[in-house]
Amino acid sequence: MPWNDPRVFQLLSLFLLGCGLMGLISRRTFLGMLISFELILNGAGLNLMTVDRFFHQDLPIGEAFTLFIMGVAASETAVVLAIMILLFRRYKTIEEEKLRGLKG
Amino acid sequence: MIGKAVFWVIVLLTIVGGLGTCLSNSLIYAVLFLLLLMGSVGGLYIYLGSPFLGMMQVLIYLGAVGILLVFSVMLAGPFWLKPKERGRFLKIGIGSVLGLGVILVLWKGLSGYETKAGPERVSQVNKLGKLLLTEYALPFELISLLIVISIIGAIMLGILGRKREEKDALE
Repeated sequence: MPWNDPRVFQLLSLFLLGCGLMGLISRRTFLGMLISFELILNGAGLNLMTVDRFFHQDLPIGEAFTLFIMGVAASETAVVLAIMILLFRRYKTIEEEKLRGLKG
Repeated sequence: MIGKAVFWVIVLLTIVGGLGTCLSNSLIYAVLFLLLLMGSVGGLYIYLGSPFLGMMQVLIYLGAVGILLVFSVMLAGPFWLKPKERGRFLKIGIGSVLGLGVILVLWKGLSGYETKAGPERVSQVNKLGKLLLTEYALPFELISLLIVISIIGAIMLGILGRKREEKDALE
């Protein structure tokens, strides 16, 4: 059975990490960067769950930490989106290169 | 047999979702591909022997985070004026170099471990609940505190932003 092989899941989570890093670098808007970051978090959760399932048998600690990751991701998304909509109201753009107010 | 086919379909959907999220030009398509990816990762959780986490993934990511992202794409438009992305050539170049680099480093680092096929596992929700209420009670409570703080923070940001906007409009 292919789902009893940890390598499939680990390669998938590695692939998600690579896609997220690529998006984080190549996107120019805050929203695109946030989406790529969600990708990375999904990959991290999948990896934790894989390690928990295959290499750690007695207690489901990986499941607990995947749940924590989900909670942190949800709250982080809420705050970042509020900040982003505020920025859009003031500056009428969410492109990072035009938001230079904090640059010294 | 059917289980195997469904598994490979889910893996394929995950790969399509990942590629679509980082390569698509328009942000709304990226969000939709991200939703596809989140759902298929939920399916992978079910194949990893934890239907509870799969349900939580659908509930939290697809339900909450997905709706938030779609709403913000809607509110932070106008995306028909396409934000300039970096060129496709540069994008694929950077992405493949970075991805291959990460894969090589992790492959080197992890190749010492032997991977063994684990036994079938039944769902462990009762153990998970005990764990969350005994050993990891503090992080559990802190997560709820964090969510409350982020809700209040988002509301305050909205209110303050609106006040400033009204002031700007009066002046």
